[in-house]
Amino acid sequence: MTPLASLPDRTFVALLEAAPDALVCIAGDGRVVLVNAQAERLFGYKREELIGQLVEILIPDAARAVHPEHRAGYVADPQHRPMGAGMPLAGRRRDASTFSAEVTLSAIDTGEGVLLTAAIRDVTAKLATKDLERSSQSLESFVYTVSHDLRAPLRALSGYSGALLEEYGGVLGEEGRGYAERIVAVSEQMGRLIDYLLQLSRISRAELNLQSVDLGGEAAQIAEELQRTEPRRHVCFAIEKPVQALADRRLIRTALQDLLNNAWKFTSGRDDALIEFGTAPSGDAAVCCYVRDNGVGFDPAYAGKLFQPFQRLHPARDFPGDGTGLASVRQIVERHGGQVWAEGAVGAGATFYFTLNGKESA
Amino acid sequence: MTTRSILLIEDNPDDEALTLRAFKKNKIRNEIVVMRDGAEALAYLLPDSGGGVPLPAVVLLDLNLPKIGGLEVLRRVRADARTALIPVVVLTSSKLEEDILDSYRNGANAYVRKPVNFADFAEAIITLGVFWLLMNEPVPSLGPEGD
Repeated sequence: MTPLASLPDRTFVALLEAAPDALVCIAGDGRVVLVNAQAERLFGYKREELIGQLVEILIPDAARAVHPEHRAGYVADPQHRPMGAGMPLAGRRRDASTFSAEVTLSAIDTGEGVLLTAAIRDVTAKLATKDLERSSQSLESFVYTVSHDLRAPLRALSGYSGALLEEYGGVLGEEGRGYAERIVAVSEQMGRLIDYLLQLSRISRAELNLQSVDLGGEAAQIAEELQRTEPRRHVCFAIEKPVQALADRRLIRTALQDLLNNAWKFTSGRDDALIEFGTAPSGDAAVCCYVRDNGVGFDPAYAGKLFQPFQRLHPARDFPGDGTGLASVRQIVERHGGQVWAEGAVGAGATFYFTLNGKESA
Repeated sequence: MTTRSILLIEDNPDDEALTLRAFKKNKIRNEIVVMRDGAEALAYLLPDSGGGVPLPAVVLLDLNLPKIGGLEVLRRVRADARTALIPVVVLTSSKLEEDILDSYRNGANAYVRKPVNFADFAEAIITLGVFWLLMNEPVPSLGPEGD
């Protein structure tokens, strides 16, 4: 007779079945007396196949031999505790496959003997997430180290080329000086690209500090700063404000800066330049904003390339830049659970839209 | 210019060469003492004998150093009465916010990121040299022999 003979009333069984974890109850002799449906599912046995068996049937081969001893130790000193004391645990299914498990043990003294309950949870997915987190962290520190270490040789390239120019410029001749100048220029460019990689990896990992931000107010500030950098340019700004949105202030400001810099740059040929910031119908999103300019525009056939890093649609000599601004805009917007897209035509200006969802993307 | 020295703590031979060149090109003839790792720098500034060395006008400190890192050098320099007040400029490739904060928290007087471009790099070095050698009023010496 099991010590449970009097127990399984309906409440008890209902409780057992409602538990989120797989539950396996065993008597002091190690034989299974009760399991719930989650346990049947997890291990692939029907309950009648398990009842009366030694619990070791659920333990992978490698750990099975030592288990009865551990079990006896627990019966002698039964305290509610996680099993395994930090060791990785595994369960064994009916088909002999195994899974990573977390097991919590508890003991009930039924008056007719001790009844042990093991709550078992499959943590394969949880461990995989942990691995992913760890590898993304090591990627971040890898990017950091690499970008840091790459700058040193670049400084040397630029520095020694500069020394050549300054000390041996006469010997080099015009062509030679031209080459040395190009080494200086490309070193600098590579320095910016490395900084950009660093920035991308930081945006993708940054913890968002969501707060209510007036996007229009931020845009107006950035517009003022742009105007100050080139006071002689005549650019008309039309900025809607306030435009409140939940966002990480620093990141969203960076995105607005990139968009407005872009508009500023690509209207540089016009003396009637107009740059607008406003809102559009947002659909499912919390807010939809746009930055519109009447600058040189772009060929819509290449619109998909706009947001890819290091892609440029205009020759560098006409419009300087690394092709990194819009890529980081996309990354920032996507971190906020939003989307970004562009409309435009050659010679007819460009409009960049982005939505925000007032929450961090998963 | 004064006769005080500059202490450069830098393990990268190219950065060292380019820094020395920038000083020389700009007629800064003060002695530049170079230490190539943190342990060497600490042994120089804080000799075990307990005595002191003539303090440099400024310490230019890289963060990424062999043996003892730049931040630890800074901590120990600040913790010792002999060097607690010495001006230290962190001169590094990093623009990581944590590095900047840690440097100031541990008592750096300034934080300068080494530019990649040779002209900008030279200008940064010269500006630092001129500022700390000429414009900055040095810490009065506190010892009994001070004046």
